[in-house]
Amino acid sequence: MSTEEQIEREGAVATRLDDPWVTIVWNDPVNLMSYVTHVFQTYFQFTREEAEARMREVHERGRAVVSTGGRERMEVDVQAMHGYGLWATLQRSGA
Amino acid sequence: MRGFSVTEGAAVAYLDDEESTVIARIVADVGELLGADAFGSPGREDAGDAGQPRGEADALFRSIAGLDDTPAEPADPALRRLLPSASREDDEVAAEFRRLTEGDLRATKAGRLRTMWEQLNAPGEAWEVSLDEAMATASALTDVRLVLAARLSIDTDEDAERLHEEIDLATHAMGTDAHEDLGVDPERVWLGMLYQALTWLQESLLQCLITTEEEQDV
Repeated sequence: MSTEEQIEREGAVATRLDDPWVTIVWNDPVNLMSYVTHVFQTYFQFTREEAEARMREVHERGRAVVSTGGRERMEVDVQAMHGYGLWATLQRSGA
Repeated sequence: MRGFSVTEGAAVAYLDDEESTVIARIVADVGELLGADAFGSPGREDAGDAGQPRGEADALFRSIAGLDDTPAEPADPALRRLLPSASREDDEVAAEFRRLTEGDLRATKAGRLRTMWEQLNAPGEAWEVSLDEAMATASALTDVRLVLAARLSIDTDEDAERLHEEIDLATHAMGTDAHEDLGVDPERVWLGMLYQALTWLQESLLQCLITTEEEQDV
């Protein structure tokens, strides 16, 4: 991880209590369960069990929160999800 | 067609000429939908390396020329699936996100599709993807499937199930004289079958990754 990213991460953590945002992944009929699980493992470094639980939440409840933090950090996560072809949005926590 | 399986440390599928040609064609179409130059056009060989800096220079020139307007949400539903809105309720958040990320996302997706297109155009029936590249290939397959799904109006899980039923019905009827009475659009069936083939290929590629990781965990 580069220094720049570390600062950004720390910045995100510092603002977390004041202004937490969330990244949400939405269900879609195209993405395969195995693929979504693998994306969660690869990008968020979730364990297989954790990734499968989030994937099932997306599939069964229509959406799941996959990360929390500052807005900029969430934009990075949403961009990554869009890169993988998943439909993700960011919003203020509790909104 | 034979799905991906792990052979000597790489994921390898086998497609005949017709299958690779059809898949390469749709891959190129999706690349062009994203705004990439036509795949296979002359002088593109060295453009892969130059793509990124040139994109940055373009962005710089646009901003100097005062053309750096926030891109609008695409009108084409297929493009909207590739470059979705990052907010459901806040237009400002969505517009800001699109302004910051859309160019990079288009370039990433087009670059992956181009790599896949080149692999599909390589001579021989084997389609070899190194395990390091497998996620990029799986993501490119997702993008192609997203576009096909938009063209087939697959918006819900139920729509996807209905498509499978339609195709089963149509393929079953093709062997009989009944197919003219079914009222199924042959183009829809054809696109649907292509969608199913890509789904099956992608799933086989994911299974390669999963089994490889399980073996590493042991």
